[in-house]
Amino acid sequence: MSDASEPENDFDVVVVGAGIAGCVTAFQLAQQGHSVVLIERGEAPGSKNLSGGVLYCRGMQEVFPDFLQEAPVERRVTRNYINFLNAESSIGIDYKDTRLADPVNAVTVLRAKLDPWLAEKCEEAGVFVMPGVRVDRVLTKDGPTGKRVVGVKAGDDELRASVVVAADGVNSFIAQEVGLRPKQPLNHLATGVKCVVSLPRETIEARFNLTGDEGAAFAVVGDCTEGIGGGGFIYTNTDSISVGVVLRLDDMVAKNKSATDIFDHFLTHQFVAPYLDGGEITEYGCHMVAEGGMDMIGDIDMDGMVVVGDAAGLTLNTGLTVRGMDLAVASGVAAAAGIASALSGKDTSKVGLAGYREQLFASFAGQDMKTYAKAPSFLEVQRMYKDYGELIGNVLYGAFNLDNQPRQHLAKVALKAFKKSPVKIRHLISDGFAGVRAL
Amino acid sequence: MKIVVAYKWAPNPQDATVGAAGAVDWSRAKPAISEYDPVAVELARELADATGGEVIGLTAGAKGVDATMARKAALSRRFDRAVIVADDSLQGAGSTELAAVLAAAVRHIGDVDLVITGDSSVDVGGKMVPTVLAGQLGWPAVAEVSAVTGGAGSVRVERAIAGGTQVLEISGPAVLAASTDAAVPRLPGMKDILAATKKPVQTLTVAELGVPATGSTVTVKGTSRPDLKARKGQMIDAKDPAAAAAELVAALRGTGAL
Repeated sequence: MSDASEPENDFDVVVVGAGIAGCVTAFQLAQQGHSVVLIERGEAPGSKNLSGGVLYCRGMQEVFPDFLQEAPVERRVTRNYINFLNAESSIGIDYKDTRLADPVNAVTVLRAKLDPWLAEKCEEAGVFVMPGVRVDRVLTKDGPTGKRVVGVKAGDDELRASVVVAADGVNSFIAQEVGLRPKQPLNHLATGVKCVVSLPRETIEARFNLTGDEGAAFAVVGDCTEGIGGGGFIYTNTDSISVGVVLRLDDMVAKNKSATDIFDHFLTHQFVAPYLDGGEITEYGCHMVAEGGMDMIGDIDMDGMVVVGDAAGLTLNTGLTVRGMDLAVASGVAAAAGIASALSGKDTSKVGLAGYREQLFASFAGQDMKTYAKAPSFLEVQRMYKDYGELIGNVLYGAFNLDNQPRQHLAKVALKAFKKSPVKIRHLISDGFAGVRAL
Repeated sequence: MKIVVAYKWAPNPQDATVGAAGAVDWSRAKPAISEYDPVAVELARELADATGGEVIGLTAGAKGVDATMARKAALSRRFDRAVIVADDSLQGAGSTELAAVLAAAVRHIGDVDLVITGDSSVDVGGKMVPTVLAGQLGWPAVAEVSAVTGGAGSVRVERAIAGGTQVLEISGPAVLAASTDAAVPRLPGMKDILAATKKPVQTLTVAELGVPATGSTVTVKGTSRPDLKARKGQMIDAKDPAAAAAELVAALRGTGAL
């Protein structure tokens, strides 16, 4: 087959979506001398992006060796705080480690700043960046092995390429359109509501116990979501704080709660509000989040097309770390390698593009998706979001509340709290066992 | 017919924030082709196509106006070519200064029959540039233009005036500011954006144009939030609805609102 050199192609590769996965794919292919167009719906890359968060940055540094020096990163995360939040109590594990700063492991980023930087890098590498264009559909033709993607259509215009890369996010309508992704069940999807609160950097450093460009990442479960499956997060940026909740759609529907009410509850929680006090909300928005883990990865390749990043379902919530951006980088790297070898072999069929899947699942990203394959169903266990936090809170209350009554051994206090809690021994055993296996 | 469309690469105030002390933060506002400028482009294109003319995009500003994204955004519009005055000395330049530079560039382009601008810029909105530009060139200026027909040397211009429409015949070159709804601009498609990089662009500096120094400049000394309207802040306890309603009516009567 000589489809890779069909004369009517406008580009070797069309990438749809200038987020992290799309930019990395486009950048690496252009670096190897392929002609690439990167189509972005927003007026400028990043303009549609409200997100921000923690980027585990080692993979990014392999693509851009000077990433930490050049890219608009906010803070280097050296403090991870895992928090069980109850209405009246808060229990946390405060993990601060200077080893996380050298070498840098994770940074906070604001995508509204990072994405334009990535697009600029793409442009420098020779990618044709095309913002302000919404792709309406992919062009297909019937080939010997079924439907083959041959390009994209936007408005009246068509662009043809040997390979189309769907990097259009969690709701990837491109992947859905060609049948690579079935509609996701509600328990695979969550809605994220977040805001960015501006505060002077000195205030942030004082409140979060940080020095210089150190940063903190809080993972919160419990009352922050009023018991809905999901969690809350607080990340420090240079001079703002990203704060939000992620709520599983099926649980919200079942409990008939509104995302904005829960978010307001989190922001005004007595243990959260002091961090935000005096700040000004400069951004507010919500976004769909993929939570299905391994189950959500559908077919990621077909004749003439691959799917990368969130569009491929590459997100991972282990309870301690919520990942998506680093997996997007890894999938971009794997896709670029797979596409490059397909182009040079002049076979961009599913078989020719198989290198993408192979490299993805050989990479840490694919390995981690497998390792944590059971995490989503573990995290669906309701007790995680309410009962455990309250149980620990009550045990500690019994230990610390010196109420002029004779003290009891901690084991007895614990047992008493445990008896009052809806959590049963068999739950502890089954959840503990599932947790160890899933995480 | 040679038509110049002066456009502005301007940040959108929608994305700017005003701090508590009144300072305006533009850092989050991404520049784009100013909101009403595409209307001017459309008006110019239609006229040029009808008369077999050329449409030249012209802008002036700090270096950013010549960035790849800015060029692409401009030239994916229906210009034939562009002249870009990119000079960091124009950072924060006011209407008078910009109009002087644009006038010098129009002279530099030479034999221009018509300059068409948008109604106003999205960031400043002063509606000054078209008239100051015309003054600099010694040409007539017409604002609120809803339609243009004719050809080189003689154009027929319709403009909205209070209570009706005025039709003007203009001989010789002129500066026209299009009304906001004079034409429906076409959104650039993928092929337009691809073609944009193939259109000729001439980049100039202020020094190359030899712009005479403006006699005076406007400097912003400060910005502040508008004062909040003084309100009574009177609260009515609504525990007893009937009494609350009576109190509300009495209060409204008392202020003369009823």
